[in-house]
Amino acid sequence: MPETNILTTIGLEHYLVLSAVLFSMGMAGVLLRRNLIVLLMSIELMLNAVNISFVAFSKFNNNIEGQIMVFFVMTIAAAEAAVGLALAVSIFKRFKEVNIRFFEHLKG
Amino acid sequence: MTDAILFWFLALVTVCAGLSVILMSNPIYSALSLAMTMVGVSALFVTLGAYFIAGVQLIVYAGAVMVLFVMVLMLFDLKHEIQAFTRGKITGAIKIASVGILAGLVVGAITLGTKAIEAAKATEAVAGKTYDNNTMSLAQNLFLQNVFGFEALGVLLLVIAVGTVALSRSRGGTHARD
Repeated sequence: MPETNILTTIGLEHYLVLSAVLFSMGMAGVLLRRNLIVLLMSIELMLNAVNISFVAFSKFNNNIEGQIMVFFVMTIAAAEAAVGLALAVSIFKRFKEVNIRFFEHLKG
Repeated sequence: MTDAILFWFLALVTVCAGLSVILMSNPIYSALSLAMTMVGVSALFVTLGAYFIAGVQLIVYAGAVMVLFVMVLMLFDLKHEIQAFTRGKITGAIKIASVGILAGLVVGAITLGTKAIEAAKATEAVAGKTYDNNTMSLAQNLFLQNVFGFEALGVLLLVIAVGTVALSRSRGGTHARD
């Protein structure tokens, strides 16, 4: 096995580590922020990180199924953003602020 | 060598933009940083050879979803947040520590798992499978093998459209009956 340099030879693990870093940042955003819009943005960040790992596996395993899965994830993400933003608009109409703590008033 | 430079540059841009998404206190800056992240991820897809996915990423995320976010932000007219982050130093420290533990766990699993993948490749020759990385093979796989999922996504989008209209017609919370 030839000696490979980690800086100049880009392999699967580079993309996977980048994906893990982006996912962890999105998770930190979800846990730490209070604004509902920024929360939704952090969720989009996590979904994008997962997409990176799907496409990386698809390339390095010579299997196109991963890119199909990216399509599905993108559609789910768009639907989730639409519903989340509709909920945010609903919260804002009632309380004039989009803080996550107002969600407890939504229960029937 | 050039692809290595490209990867490191794109990774730096994407990580910096992603950090500024969660660190900016004004949500409109977060939205702009998220758009930058989307463009960086799209360029990463190009480096991986997934050209069609990269185009869809630009159109759907950096176009449609980000415009949706910015439109809603414009609707709200938010000022700088006073309380942008969660209260409590101890719970915040616990949350950051849990995120760090998750990141370390994932990176450790990756470094262990890629060795296993290399070993599997060496034994059973995964690379021998025919694989045309172009849009046509993508479409053939989508419309021949995964056509049920595709149609289910169509139904999901219809349901989401109806549900969003129903949500935005309500007067804000189930308590608001005035």
